[in-house]
Amino acid sequence: MNKNAFLPGVTGLALLLLVAVPVSFVVLQAIFPHLDTSSYSAPFSAFFRVFAEPQMLALIATTLKVGLGVAVCSAFIGIPLGALRGLFRLPGAALWDVLFLVPFLLPPYIAALSWMLALQTNGYVQQLLPWLHLNNFLFSLPGMIAVMTLNIFPVVYFAVSRSMAASGSRLADVARIHGAGAFQAFVRITLPMALPAMASSLLLAFTLSIEEYGVPGALGSRSGILMLTTGIEQRLADWPIDLPGAAVLSLVLVAMALCAYSVQRAVLAGKNVESMTGKPADVTPKPLSGWTFPVLALFSLVALIAVALPLASMLATAFSGTLSGGLSLSNLTLRHFATLFAVHGDALGALSTSLSLASGTALIAGATGFLASWLVVVRRIRGAAVIDGLSLLPAALPGIVVGVGLILAWNRSFWPVTPYNTWGILLLAYCCLLLPYPVRYVSAALKQIGGNLDAAARVHGATAAQTLRLILLPLVLPSLLASMMMVFAVASRELVTSLLLSPAGVQTVSVFVWRQFEQGSVGDGMAMASVAVLLSLTLMLAAFRLSQRRV
Amino acid sequence: MTRTLLSRTKTGVMTAMTLSLAMAAGSAQALTLYTAGPGSLAKKLAAGYEKQTGVKVDVFQATTGKVMARLEAEQANPRADVLISASWDTATDLEQRGWLLQYQSPNAAQVPAQFKTPYYVAQGISALGIVWNTKSGTSEPKDWGDLTKPEFKDKVTTPDPSLSGASLDLLIGLQNAHAQQAWKLFDDLKANGMIIAGPNAQALTPVLQGAKAAVFGAVDYVSYASMQDGESVKVIFPQSGTVIAPRPMMILKSSQQQKEAKAFIDYALSPEGQQLVAQAWLMPARSDIDAKRPLFKSLKLLPEDPKASASRKDVLDRFAKLFTQP
Repeated sequence: MNKNAFLPGVTGLALLLLVAVPVSFVVLQAIFPHLDTSSYSAPFSAFFRVFAEPQMLALIATTLKVGLGVAVCSAFIGIPLGALRGLFRLPGAALWDVLFLVPFLLPPYIAALSWMLALQTNGYVQQLLPWLHLNNFLFSLPGMIAVMTLNIFPVVYFAVSRSMAASGSRLADVARIHGAGAFQAFVRITLPMALPAMASSLLLAFTLSIEEYGVPGALGSRSGILMLTTGIEQRLADWPIDLPGAAVLSLVLVAMALCAYSVQRAVLAGKNVESMTGKPADVTPKPLSGWTFPVLALFSLVALIAVALPLASMLATAFSGTLSGGLSLSNLTLRHFATLFAVHGDALGALSTSLSLASGTALIAGATGFLASWLVVVRRIRGAAVIDGLSLLPAALPGIVVGVGLILAWNRSFWPVTPYNTWGILLLAYCCLLLPYPVRYVSAALKQIGGNLDAAARVHGATAAQTLRLILLPLVLPSLLASMMMVFAVASRELVTSLLLSPAGVQTVSVFVWRQFEQGSVGDGMAMASVAVLLSLTLMLAAFRLSQRRV
Repeated sequence: MTRTLLSRTKTGVMTAMTLSLAMAAGSAQALTLYTAGPGSLAKKLAAGYEKQTGVKVDVFQATTGKVMARLEAEQANPRADVLISASWDTATDLEQRGWLLQYQSPNAAQVPAQFKTPYYVAQGISALGIVWNTKSGTSEPKDWGDLTKPEFKDKVTTPDPSLSGASLDLLIGLQNAHAQQAWKLFDDLKANGMIIAGPNAQALTPVLQGAKAAVFGAVDYVSYASMQDGESVKVIFPQSGTVIAPRPMMILKSSQQQKEAKAFIDYALSPEGQQLVAQAWLMPARSDIDAKRPLFKSLKLLPEDPKASASRKDVLDRFAKLFTQP
């Protein structure tokens, strides 16, 4: 094979396998409902059937309500906190950043299950504060929105604080010198400069919440609230199954996510208010002076609710002998952890499966993502737009749709070999979902590297592969490693595709926790959750540190 | 540094590929078991069978609804060899579709006639009842109807019959025995604020913590297991009668390993296998094996009317409709 076509060929093939195949099978199945019998009859009939169902409109409306609700609530928490963090000299700034990273890293299904044990009648909160009745609130649409918001608001917080810290105060100072009041400078200068960051992070919050399965799966079943994700899962995994229906709903969900995603990209691309010139700017946050105490109180309150409470609830359950025993010292036990680490138990098996799958995913997604961004950013080969699109598309693809796609694609009799019903299918699913992480990180790093390094190497006779290996890879390595650790941490706890695709005899951490809630001991499930959360927090924090260290 | 990283990556990929080949080769000989209900029991049966025969068993455990959905989805490319459902009705349905292999295990001789057919045989039997939190401050319910009393307002959960096979058996049993009266009971329960809460343990968890006081139609073995762990709940079998849910084991006709599958059924029905069933707080299917819990002979059962057996789909639809109303 032509040496120059080898790497693009491999990358293209990988993207085709990871992204294009599952997506095209969802589209095909939605259009041709009888695809499973290799018949192309009655095209589009599934659309009419599904949209004629009376609960269809409610399903879409609930999903939109949740998405908008989470975006609005995240704005209320994330924007003020982000602005305070970005513009003022906040005591313990780095600590707050790390704390607000936690809820985003806590797997949403574990958070939801923890909230349930904390807030339901006679739950942990009521055992401590008997007058506080939050049961009915939790099992309602606003309750679901609140739980999701507490998981998602850090996206907004980080975007706003970074954007304001980078550009906000310097130009506002100029305005102040020219006679503007503090409020005027904020409204006329600081706020508009941070608007793109706000808008795009809010759209991201919207996308994340409509794609979420764990929270509606855990809370929705008690409150009778169905979202698109849980609706798809039901059609796919409950008897009798409805493959065309699941495919149609998947397309509806993808359409919503793609809309939000493209608006987000347009917002970022259109309004370029970048004030960074590349020259080092002197960023001096203002002192909070008299406001220090109230601001710290506000930060503590949010950290208490979003971070401490769910974690405490998870740990309390993991260390409780019985649920009916409640919070008391005599109820303290290590039994659930002992069960976890008992020989022949399936918990250790689940842990090692998740860890191996996550390592495999980090390697494959890292390699594919690195090659794809190199081809797009540095080589600018023909078809770069296709590669770019395919490698970033999964960012807008809900996990459940990838799961549906992989089932539809690989559970067919015409393949001579299929990864379906082996752990290979989970690897495919995770790689597809997490590909955008390395692509984003590495592309950003590659864009910062001047083109002359590459050119100099080529002038001295290096091949493309040599340049790639000896010059570019070492330079982007910190970003690549950080993204791979991120991929590892997310893959080690992924829920919905694991539930759909895990073959017989293979259990992941998330499936173990979920099954314990459905059919087994909640204590064992939470013990496993604690181990998993500890593990992924350690890794994510390491990745965070690594990505903070600039090349 | 870069070089070692790349070569390490290469090694990693090679290892993964070798592993995948090894795993694919290994699974070619393994028996695949799809099972509803206690995952720990399935694991123990698999381990015991593997010890005896050397054949590995891959277990997929989920709710009856999910197990059946998976079976259906894999129709073009069937994987399961043995299926253990929690609902007798699903076995009848699969037999009518012609998916099952006829097999009479020699060990089934001690299983009462009502728990076996030429195509399937019970692994164990569960019963449905009310599970009541003794610390809930409500008085102990004696019959299904007690849960419609004001003191149980907003305090009752029930497993989702579309997910839990045993729960569905109770609905069908109540409807067969009481016809319209059964639906009056469901109406009253709904009016009293009963909620559907996912599969079995998910309906039980709020009762354990005291958020709710009782489960209507709980599978007994899940509750016995939590009582053993020290939870303060009590299993009550209603005065007017309840249903038992035999858990049918069957071999799929599509199985490539019928010999091993038959051996698995034999093992599950062997005294050793039945002891494992009893340890999981189920009633053993064999009448000559003891259990540490009340056996079905001592329970008052709802009268059965084979002619009036309600269709699964109709009951599910009606029940779902009733409980999705605002």
